[in-house]
Amino acid sequence: MNKATKTFTVLTLTTLILSSTSVFSSEMVEIPAGSFVMGSDNDDYAPPQHSMYLKNYSIDIFEVTNKEFKEQFPEHSFWENAGSHPATKITWEEAKAYCIKIGKRLPREEEWEKAARGEDARLYPWGNKPLRKKAHPFHSGLIKRRVGLNKKDVSPYGVRDMAGSVWEWTASDFYRKKITRGGLWNFHLEYEFSKTFDRNLVTPSNRLPFIGFRCAR
Amino acid sequence: MRTLEKLTRRLFLERGFWATALIFWSWFRGSSHAEELHTYEGTDFIGKTREGEYKNFYINFWKPMRRINGENWQLKITGLCDAPQSFTLEHFKTFISTTQSSRMKCVECWSARAQWSGFSIQELEQIVRPQPEAKGILFHCGDEYKEYLSREALNQDRVILAHSMNGKPLTDAHGFPLRLIAPSKYGYKNPKAILEMEYVSEHQAGTWSKIGPYSQDGTILPGTDHPLEFSKKPHRISGGEITDY
Repeated sequence: MNKATKTFTVLTLTTLILSSTSVFSSEMVEIPAGSFVMGSDNDDYAPPQHSMYLKNYSIDIFEVTNKEFKEQFPEHSFWENAGSHPATKITWEEAKAYCIKIGKRLPREEEWEKAARGEDARLYPWGNKPLRKKAHPFHSGLIKRRVGLNKKDVSPYGVRDMAGSVWEWTASDFYRKKITRGGLWNFHLEYEFSKTFDRNLVTPSNRLPFIGFRCAR
Repeated sequence: MRTLEKLTRRLFLERGFWATALIFWSWFRGSSHAEELHTYEGTDFIGKTREGEYKNFYINFWKPMRRINGENWQLKITGLCDAPQSFTLEHFKTFISTTQSSRMKCVECWSARAQWSGFSIQELEQIVRPQPEAKGILFHCGDEYKEYLSREALNQDRVILAHSMNGKPLTDAHGFPLRLIAPSKYGYKNPKAILEMEYVSEHQAGTWSKIGPYSQDGTILPGTDHPLEFSKKPHRISGGEITDY
């Protein structure tokens, strides 16, 4: 092995190690003020399609990870080597408390949707067609992975994992339940990415392995 | 010509006879189908069935098993606890009883609701006193099925050890004499016909998780459900316990 090859190998390995252990979610992106199209007329669970204006705000690029959550709440436990996986089994109150503790807040539903959908009313963060890649293995449970692993699950503003990974708590509620956004649907072991307007309503005290969160400011 | 007429008449009569027989056979078959008994009716065994009364609440077993005699049955509590012992059905009458309506959601797609009565795991744990290193329980069932649930999962609200269903003792098909009801988990995490509960220190894969694409956690995920009492009409579910219908 010559020197150049050795250097290349070392650099590649270093990059791989760093990318598999790094934690991203403190990074935020600013979503500019303006209108966007919210909701859908073709989904009974989403609000009817309408235009909405939002002031500028910032949102986490990545979901909050186990490692980050544990830094604020040391009692949080997770499987070995899952530090860079999205933090889950967290109630809505705990998610809210985490965001407040680090000077942020949970995003409102409309903020979450705009960050995922951009201004062109797209169905998925990356566009209007489902990805060719299978959303998830044929498995009855979620196999969680490092946040940001899916390089194609990127919104027009660069926000990651808004159609796959886990569902995310928002600050919004509907009939005493909290609105979660942006995770996977399991249709009897066939998984689909959620659309940008898909809602899932969950009891806020639930501690579920498929719900995580990100923060806004 | 006369011969031809005779032949035609004979053919007509023969075919008519068979057609009539076919109609009667179809009618008889349809009738018996409506009143059909399940495969294990009247036998010493019980196993997987979707027939007869179980059209509205499917029955799954890992293997067909001999029916349990309640008079001889004892629940063995073993493993990492300070006071391992056995319990009879009579013992359970002294436990604080709880009744709840909850839906059993199968990972295959169907679901069905029932009212379950039983007691919480805390009732048992006050007596057997699990040791600090006991992280979960391995359930050993009459059909040789094994399933593991963490103590954290077992101590959640609405997780009960049920001995009754819809106001009556569990039937053999539904897991007599004792089964677990964990409404936020798929059916395969609700072991039935329990013989032994073994406190263990490490997470273990249950029978289905070892052989198929079944998660060890078994929490119901967001998606669709096909409830049997609503003719399997698709219902969207948000994951966890199904409480909307």
